[in-house]
Amino acid sequence: MTEQHRHAGENLSQPNFEQVFLPHLDAAYNLARWLLRNDQDAEDAVQEAYMRAYKAFARFRGGDGKAWFMTILRNVCYTMIKKLRSHETPEPFDEEIHQVVGESEMQEAFRQKANAESLQVALQKLPDEFREIIVLHDLEGLAYKEIATVVGIPIGTVMSRLARARGRLRNEIIASTAKESLS
Amino acid sequence: MNHDEAKQLLGPYRDGELDLATCLKLEEHMAGCPACQQALEGEQELVDLIQSETPHFKASPFLKTRIRAALREEAKPKWKWTYPFPLAFYELGVFGSIAVIALFAALITPVAFNLFSVSASSSLAQEAVANHVRSLQVNHLMDVASTDQHTVKPWFAGRLDYSPQVVDLGPSGYPLIGGRLDVLDHRNVAAIIYQRRKHYINLFIWPSDAMSLHGRLYDQNDYHVLGWTKSGMNYLAVSELGEKELREFVEMIQNQTIDSRVGE
Repeated sequence: MTEQHRHAGENLSQPNFEQVFLPHLDAAYNLARWLLRNDQDAEDAVQEAYMRAYKAFARFRGGDGKAWFMTILRNVCYTMIKKLRSHETPEPFDEEIHQVVGESEMQEAFRQKANAESLQVALQKLPDEFREIIVLHDLEGLAYKEIATVVGIPIGTVMSRLARARGRLRNEIIASTAKESLS
Repeated sequence: MNHDEAKQLLGPYRDGELDLATCLKLEEHMAGCPACQQALEGEQELVDLIQSETPHFKASPFLKTRIRAALREEAKPKWKWTYPFPLAFYELGVFGSIAVIALFAALITPVAFNLFSVSASSSLAQEAVANHVRSLQVNHLMDVASTDQHTVKPWFAGRLDYSPQVVDLGPSGYPLIGGRLDVLDHRNVAAIIYQRRKHYINLFIWPSDAMSLHGRLYDQNDYHVLGWTKSGMNYLAVSELGEKELREFVEMIQNQTIDSRVGE
């Protein structure tokens, strides 16, 4: 076999992997970017995930390629987070503080303060596991079942975690803008 | 269904994750429960806000190129030994091993340096051929499709830290058809694509800071690679065209690329 044939042959085997997984590049990058909070780390994580997926490709039995790949990517991200933020202590979050008023008042307050900026601030304040589930579900459109695979938790937990994440996000939106209006 | 149960299910209901029976029971409850109706409305408003106002981060085209290149690198066959050295080697002990390594190094070093410098340009050429073969597969030929050099050249601005000269050889039978970002020798390079009948030519252009190229670099079966360096830029033309035609193409490119350093 000539050198050139060998190269051509290798290239033929790649589109398989690339055709299955490269379409998920944007979804993967979006999740990594939201978890790692900067472009460079997100790019490194995504590339590392592609390399790991490529090596593990033999073990991929078809089916939901997006969930399979996002699982790998998520693991890479959390490994990086551990390294990057090992010195940081997570900010304690008081979940009860804004629960004193009724649903109508909450909704009224939310409508007044809901905008792109307060959402941004609130999302950044969420703990990783909450931000992640909102990105996976509300932005990337993964079903509960897929999220269960990616995150490695039962569907029931997906359901309750998403509910808590949205609850916290809403409270943060109300709270963060309230602080600004005082100053 | 009581109110507390119903409240827990509002999120999954909005998300379309409930089975039909549960859906119906929940709707039955909600019909007579303004609090649940209001809570569902609140849930919907929050998700609407998230979906309309959250920036969706998109991967840059560089990242895609980088990953493709890394995957291609990974696909190359590698030597794998169960032990890093033959078994007998382990029986020599520490000093014996060092002696063997030193002897081996002394013998191989002069030879190795020669081999590496020869293989640098030929492996570059093989990489270029692999890029060329790859560019012809799965609609990966062009990132920007245009026969207008004034469209192709500005496309590279912001994507590369240098500006490649793009010339159109349409009147001479080698029309420009587009450009693409590719990776050669671990760096992003411009790939300009020309067409000759049903064949394509990939012309790779990048600054010649590390090495310069001369003449025929690679020649095997259907592929020819010609390289040259002009005005601080390396040019590498790859095609399955006959060598005669490829040389004609290269000559025209060489004549039409202006020496940007003249007049400086």
